[in-house]
Amino acid sequence: MKAHHWIIAAFAAFAVALPYLKLLPAWTPALATVTALMALSLIGLNLIFGVSGMLALGQAAFVALPGYASGILVKAGVPGLLSIPIGIAIALAIARLVAEIFIRLPGIYFAIGTIGFAFVVEGLARAFPGLAGGASGLVLEPPMALGRDSWYALAVASLALGLATFALLVRGRFLRTLRLVRHDELAAQVLGVNVARLKARVFIIGSAYSAVGGVLLAYYVGVLAPESGGVNASLEALAMVIIGGSGSLFGPVLGAAGVQWLFAVAGGAARYELLVYGLGFFMVVLFAPSGISGAIRRAWSALAKRASGGPAAAAEPPAERPDGADASAGTMPRPARSGMCLKVENASKHFGGLRAVDEVSFEVRFGQIVALIGPNGAGKSTLFNLVSGIEPLSGGRIVLEGKDVGAASIHSRAGEIGRSFQVPRLVADMTTLDNVAARFDHLLKRGDEAGNQRRAQAQLAAFGLGAFADRPVREIGLGYHKLIELARASAGAPPLLLLDEPAVGLTTEEVGRLAAALQRLKREGAAILVVEHNIDFVATIADEVVVMNSGRLIARGTPAAVIANPAVQAAYFGALA
Amino acid sequence: MNLFTQAIISGLMTGAVYTFLGIGLVLVYRTARILNLAHGETFAITGVAAALLVAAGLPLVVALALAILAALAFAAGLHRFVLRPRAEWPPGTLILITLGAAFVVRGVLILAAGTDPVSFPVIFPEAPVRFAGGAIPPQGIALVVLGFGVSAAVGLFLSMTRAGKQLLAAAENPYAAELLGVNVERARLTAYAIGALLGALAAILLVPLIAVDFQSGLAMTLRGFIAAAISGMSPVGVLFSGLGLGLFESMVGAYLGALYQDPVMFCVLILVALWQSRKIRFGGGRRA
Repeated sequence: MKAHHWIIAAFAAFAVALPYLKLLPAWTPALATVTALMALSLIGLNLIFGVSGMLALGQAAFVALPGYASGILVKAGVPGLLSIPIGIAIALAIARLVAEIFIRLPGIYFAIGTIGFAFVVEGLARAFPGLAGGASGLVLEPPMALGRDSWYALAVASLALGLATFALLVRGRFLRTLRLVRHDELAAQVLGVNVARLKARVFIIGSAYSAVGGVLLAYYVGVLAPESGGVNASLEALAMVIIGGSGSLFGPVLGAAGVQWLFAVAGGAARYELLVYGLGFFMVVLFAPSGISGAIRRAWSALAKRASGGPAAAAEPPAERPDGADASAGTMPRPARSGMCLKVENASKHFGGLRAVDEVSFEVRFGQIVALIGPNGAGKSTLFNLVSGIEPLSGGRIVLEGKDVGAASIHSRAGEIGRSFQVPRLVADMTTLDNVAARFDHLLKRGDEAGNQRRAQAQLAAFGLGAFADRPVREIGLGYHKLIELARASAGAPPLLLLDEPAVGLTTEEVGRLAAALQRLKREGAAILVVEHNIDFVATIADEVVVMNSGRLIARGTPAAVIANPAVQAAYFGALA
Repeated sequence: MNLFTQAIISGLMTGAVYTFLGIGLVLVYRTARILNLAHGETFAITGVAAALLVAAGLPLVVALALAILAALAFAAGLHRFVLRPRAEWPPGTLILITLGAAFVVRGVLILAAGTDPVSFPVIFPEAPVRFAGGAIPPQGIALVVLGFGVSAAVGLFLSMTRAGKQLLAAAENPYAAELLGVNVERARLTAYAIGALLGALAAILLVPLIAVDFQSGLAMTLRGFIAAAISGMSPVGVLFSGLGLGLFESMVGAYLGALYQDPVMFCVLILVALWQSRKIRFGGGRRA
């Protein structure tokens, strides 16, 4: 264990013993039990909102639901101990339903849908007093009598278990995927992530924490009030996560403890409660987005810096790593490829009356570079989006390695297509290595963490980017972003590469490096389709040029033949002719 | 009394409120790309402020004017001092900021007025108009006429006039709009101000009939959003979706019971969500 692990362990032991030490006014075992169970339920919101960035504004509904379900089941004659897991299962089934309905839509629908659901849960709890206890709440009888200390031990143990499972789950590949999806859903899909399924899964896992913490808290308190599943409680939960430090492991614990203790000390000031919550939430969102745990981390690193004397020595860029020399480790062996890779047959895309792509047909073979050129608005980008599945076809077929993929989703054809964007869509906060590793994560069904890191390292080395591996992308010059994205797109040697204006904005030297990389990928057998405006670059690298104008294909052939074609000159070089 | 006529009357009134609030949300969304969860607070601020000022002895007209000013100041301040300096932040964080603002307003309102609902006198105290077995107070007539009239005027202004189209262009592509000489900043401020004005107007007309408390704001935002979402965030469409929703909700209240209104409205929201997601065939993930 490292030094800060020992400090955290010692501090945790102290925190657990604190209610018995009588050092902190109002911090009794009862309050500590409530706080621990609340923190357990907040881990769910921390996963859904803090880590994954989904605006779940009604999470209290899933905190209260299992308690209500369990209490109603007990009334119906189900034994108490059995009713709790059934109640949790019911809550999760409902969470799944809510996720299915709202998760595919833009974030504002998810936000409003979840907040609306909290309104419904609170409303229904009030509407059926016979069943749910009405406004005064549903009384819950614990299935076994536990004393004060046993409850506290149970609460601390379940919180520890919750934190441990969170720490084990939210790391490596899964964490990388969540950050990718949070930052850029489209880029995630193009890398092969089934975004809707992933988000639904995160919502259900998160709701499981909410449900377990919620049902224990409900049985500890003994009464479940309608408000506890409503909008206010949901927003208070969100406030605690944000104040504690959203996205960090201990954020929910710090938030719950801070807020609960503050209110216990403030005592009778219940009317100020909403304003304190509101202002705390507002100020943290505006001025300290990393909350209490962020402040602690900053203080800690400042202390560590002072202890080690001056700033850390990592400011110098690392030297090229020798371990990446074996470039073949980055590209997985694929069967030797020849013949047809991509066949676009009469592909069309209409936006209302506009024919953005009109009956376009061409092919790309393995080991061939085809350049797609044409004036602005010719339909090149739309055609790219048709091939990668971002836009559905209005007509025609897209055949990839003999299979018609025209109706397949973006992520399900991503294994066969590596794509770069006109403006690179890298995750700026992640390291270059993680950005590339994210591609291997979703290319290999069973890629292990160490293996994917090694493959990504080798892939970077093959593009001469090894020195950047451990640096966040935001610190790296924009000229390299195109190359990093190419390294990510070609990772794992997908049959087809779609590169959208890879040479734009590059210096002559960088263009040379790009051309060399493309020639290497071509030799390795990739089929490469490039949209490009740089005619010199196209003439050097392309085997064939396809020219589009106003949505139609107007010419194709060798670069020299196409450039000499009068129709192309009229459309494309009109100003020069 | 005829239940059906009465349900239609109350549906018209509810629909007017939906439209009043929905159009403000649409305006801000279309010009600034923000889902303003603090929008309903303009309703709550106006209602509570007017009630307190009247209780303090001010003449009704003065109290109402001051209350409207308070709502305008809140919306303009939220935009100018909180959201505008952070325009480059991710949309999710901006939504959270508006939620935080709504939270702060609730905290202030509960301190100012307590937890019990408050109200103030109607502007039109004449006896209810009776017809076809129903009754509608003159204040209700004003609510319906102004609600749909003003909202229609705003909708037509946006879709027919040059200034209105500029306002909407500001959101579609702020840089292009700026290049074409549209003052994007003024367009956004105008959107917040019109939204706040409509929210305040709704409060002035509705609160004397049903009262207001510290947590009315978020409920109003939610209802306005359902109307806005059904219309597909269209400033003219929200007129019709607001009217339809109001009538529907009032029928549910009349024939099933008021307790079912929230769950049924949520079901409407689910249907809207399913209707919208039919367009997203390819795995979802459109940006908000």
